[in-house]
Amino acid sequence: MTNTSINQASNGRAWIALLLAGAFEIVYALSVAGSEAFTVLNWSISAIVFFLLTLYALSVALKTIDVGIGYAVWAGIGAVGSAVFGSVLFEQSLTLGQAFWLAVIIAGVIWLKLASSEKLQADESGLIAS
Amino acid sequence: MISWLYLGVAVLFEIAVAFSAGNAQGFTRLWWTIATLVSGAIATFFLSLALLEFDVGVGYSIWTSVAGVGIVILGAIFFQERLNLRKLSGIAMVIGGVIGLRLSGAA
Repeated sequence: MTNTSINQASNGRAWIALLLAGAFEIVYALSVAGSEAFTVLNWSISAIVFFLLTLYALSVALKTIDVGIGYAVWAGIGAVGSAVFGSVLFEQSLTLGQAFWLAVIIAGVIWLKLASSEKLQADESGLIAS
Repeated sequence: MISWLYLGVAVLFEIAVAFSAGNAQGFTRLWWTIATLVSGAIATFFLSLALLEFDVGVGYSIWTSVAGVGIVILGAIFFQERLNLRKLSGIAMVIGGVIGLRLSGAA
């Protein structure tokens, strides 16, 4: 590696973009819920704006970060965040059973995205020494 | 029950979003970019219908996770991407979790 410092800088920016994409996705999910099928104007505008922001931030992040890992982190942040903030903001409290199954789903999708990562699979078969 | 149907339609269009965005190459290709935005709008609208009944955390998580499962399965069928034990176990967790949520009375 000759351009290590340059790579590290762009890597850092990519991870910031990814975390932002996760945060934007939470706001998007809450806005879609708050829009009540796009009958409430402010929430509807917010949903559209944060949909576009998420798409942009995610595309910036995934130029550098492996797609499988990137989607796993992004999906995890969005799902956990919308459950936590949704229950606070809209007073939608989950039962213990629902929270358990929700955790199973979220763990499942993170696991699935990681399993789709070309980088992780290549690492394991020893093709890339990292 | 109709809200599950709305969620199903939203899942189909979310899969279309992932497929279009993947082909849009950083949104430099016009038609794939348009396809991404149109599918995203339709997916979002049907999600919003489903969320009239579902709690946001539950509905959103089912939506994004089942779409993730759909993307992997379609990738295996149409793009010869390999299904390994890990992917299958992730798919099983998502499906098991959705069934569990359904049985525990989440909408």
